[in-house]
Amino acid sequence: MLSKSAARAFFLGGTVLCAVAFVGLTVDTLGRIPAQTHQGEITDAVRRGKDLWDRSNCMGCHTLLGEGAYYAPELTKVFERRGPVFIRAMLTDPEKMYPGQRRMWKYDFSERDKDDLIAFFQWIGKMDLNGFPPKPTLAQMATTTGLAATVDRPQIFNQLCVACHALGGQGGQVGPALDGVGGRMAPAQIAAWLADPPAIKPGTQMPKLPLTDGQRQELTAFLSTLK
Amino acid sequence: MKYESQRVAWWFFATCMLLFGLQLVYGLIMGYAHAGHDPLHPIIPFHVARAVHTNLLVVWLLTGFMGAAYFIIPEEADRELYWPKLAYVQLIALVVVGVVAIIGFHLQWWEGRKFLEIPRPLDFLVVVDVLLFIANIGMTIWKGKRMTTTSMVLFFGLLMAALLYLPGMIPTDNQTLDSYWRWWVVHLWVEGVWELIMGAILSFLLIKLTGVDREVIEKWLYVIVGFTFLSGILGTGHHYYWIGTPRYWLLIGGVFSALEPLAFLGMAIYAIAMARKGGRAHPNRVALQWTIGCAVMSFVGAGFLGFAHTLPQVNLYTHGTLVTAMHGHMAFWGAYAMLVLAMISYALPLLTGRKRHDTPSASFAFWTSNIGMIAMTLAFAVAGITQVVLERRVGMDFVTVQKEIEVHFWGLLLAAGLFILGISAYIYNFIRHGKPVAEVQGGGDSGASPPAAEAA
Repeated sequence: MLSKSAARAFFLGGTVLCAVAFVGLTVDTLGRIPAQTHQGEITDAVRRGKDLWDRSNCMGCHTLLGEGAYYAPELTKVFERRGPVFIRAMLTDPEKMYPGQRRMWKYDFSERDKDDLIAFFQWIGKMDLNGFPPKPTLAQMATTTGLAATVDRPQIFNQLCVACHALGGQGGQVGPALDGVGGRMAPAQIAAWLADPPAIKPGTQMPKLPLTDGQRQELTAFLSTLK
Repeated sequence: MKYESQRVAWWFFATCMLLFGLQLVYGLIMGYAHAGHDPLHPIIPFHVARAVHTNLLVVWLLTGFMGAAYFIIPEEADRELYWPKLAYVQLIALVVVGVVAIIGFHLQWWEGRKFLEIPRPLDFLVVVDVLLFIANIGMTIWKGKRMTTTSMVLFFGLLMAALLYLPGMIPTDNQTLDSYWRWWVVHLWVEGVWELIMGAILSFLLIKLTGVDREVIEKWLYVIVGFTFLSGILGTGHHYYWIGTPRYWLLIGGVFSALEPLAFLGMAIYAIAMARKGGRAHPNRVALQWTIGCAVMSFVGAGFLGFAHTLPQVNLYTHGTLVTAMHGHMAFWGAYAMLVLAMISYALPLLTGRKRHDTPSASFAFWTSNIGMIAMTLAFAVAGITQVVLERRVGMDFVTVQKEIEVHFWGLLLAAGLFILGISAYIYNFIRHGKPVAEVQGGGDSGASPPAAEAA
């Protein structure tokens, strides 16, 4: 039968062995992290962005690298998914961007703060994360044509508009679906609407988005084709 | 209660009850927010509630561990605490730091790092406070009449917990390194050295409650904490799958964290076997209920549900979803909350001299809170799995999916109501026990050694 001293030896031996292995692996990992995370690309803006990320406790609702709370979207790939225009508008006034939806705290970010956070997200998005976040495999099976269709859309549409509107069954459900919008509205109407929705229809939930003239023209042309 | 200085434990336990009660309030705020109602958003937005909820948990568990240590160590070392007054000073300091931190969170003064939100200046105060505690416990053991395995495991568990707080303060610009060191604290606490503390407290309770020979219980204690470290240390790798660390962590983390349930299974079998072997009918049956319950529920919550999403193939989809919340709630409840409640249930009649452990409310508290927690875990599981399928597999938008699963949070709130009812009964029972008695009441119930004649 096992004696107490043998049990103690098992405990001490196993613990020391595993601790040594863990410290060894940590040393090796610390050597590899700079390359895997593009540490050289950490600019002052990224640094300030991380500081803002921590100070604002963004992790209290969002996840980053899958870590944090599960109340708000995962932000690892937010730069690629939504782009700087959307992120800036969201950081300026979150409730305007998602009216009547789950609420985000309205921070008093300066324009430079927003630049810094965007730089931080851009840097995070480039990391090699061993395949996280995963691609939605079932979505590709369900809509093989849908995926091809998204490629033809303007980038700004895929980043900004789909946050609230669906097209072909994909996208948000905050605003109405955009299928057939080109048949319902003339190009001039669409352009005027995009320029300033509350001016056209007072009380609308859609905010005035910070689009450039070029982006507005591109979106108008694209939306007009949806008949 | 054998020694007068053990009485300080009551104040630690009373603090636990207060903080635990407050933790539930903030949990409710978050549950309602998830169900689509956040009327408190302008005053207590979600990220404030979340920081308060998790940090209250950590603080009340640590307070409970300290109270347990102040109760156990004098009995194990066979002497009064070395600095009895320091224990009170140290509790007051801890409460002050805790209150400042919680008020600070409401003013959004924090670090924004999950579980380690306490602002940096307060971190240093926590470390000083814990070192004072360690010194007090350490001197008591050092000057004591005997050095038992149970007290040594408890001491080293507490000492390592204090030292492992330090990696969390390493400054870095890189989010990956930030996370890397954060898990050194969080993982090596809850799946490492806290299990030493858990093993030691369980041993103490089993020795007292079952009457099984100390040598037998302590031998198995070594085996179990041995398995804990064998799996838990390298099991930290399951936090290093997707944060910008090398691929080999998928293999190492996967293999070793798959072994982690064994340590918890061992703990459960050990507790049940010792209870059967003992056969001694200790009058405080509720304390034994909590003790066995802790060992079993920690296996279910930490062992089984942890295993359910620890393999990288699964974790790729469940990482950063409500599935984590499912595992987290039952793991913390089973392993650590129930442990502290077991310790309080055992110590309270001895501290206060009122034997209220047979009252229906004590049993009601045990069953209602456990059934409530199991139901909460199921609600989280349904919400989490639905989120994984819709968002991660089908590719639906986050906000749309959250609307879909709102209904499960009503289920969660119902279950939470049951849980809160159980905990209220526990706190009611605590209050009914009254304040600790002034005089030392003989040899407690150990019967192993004569009452302390040298008590100051």
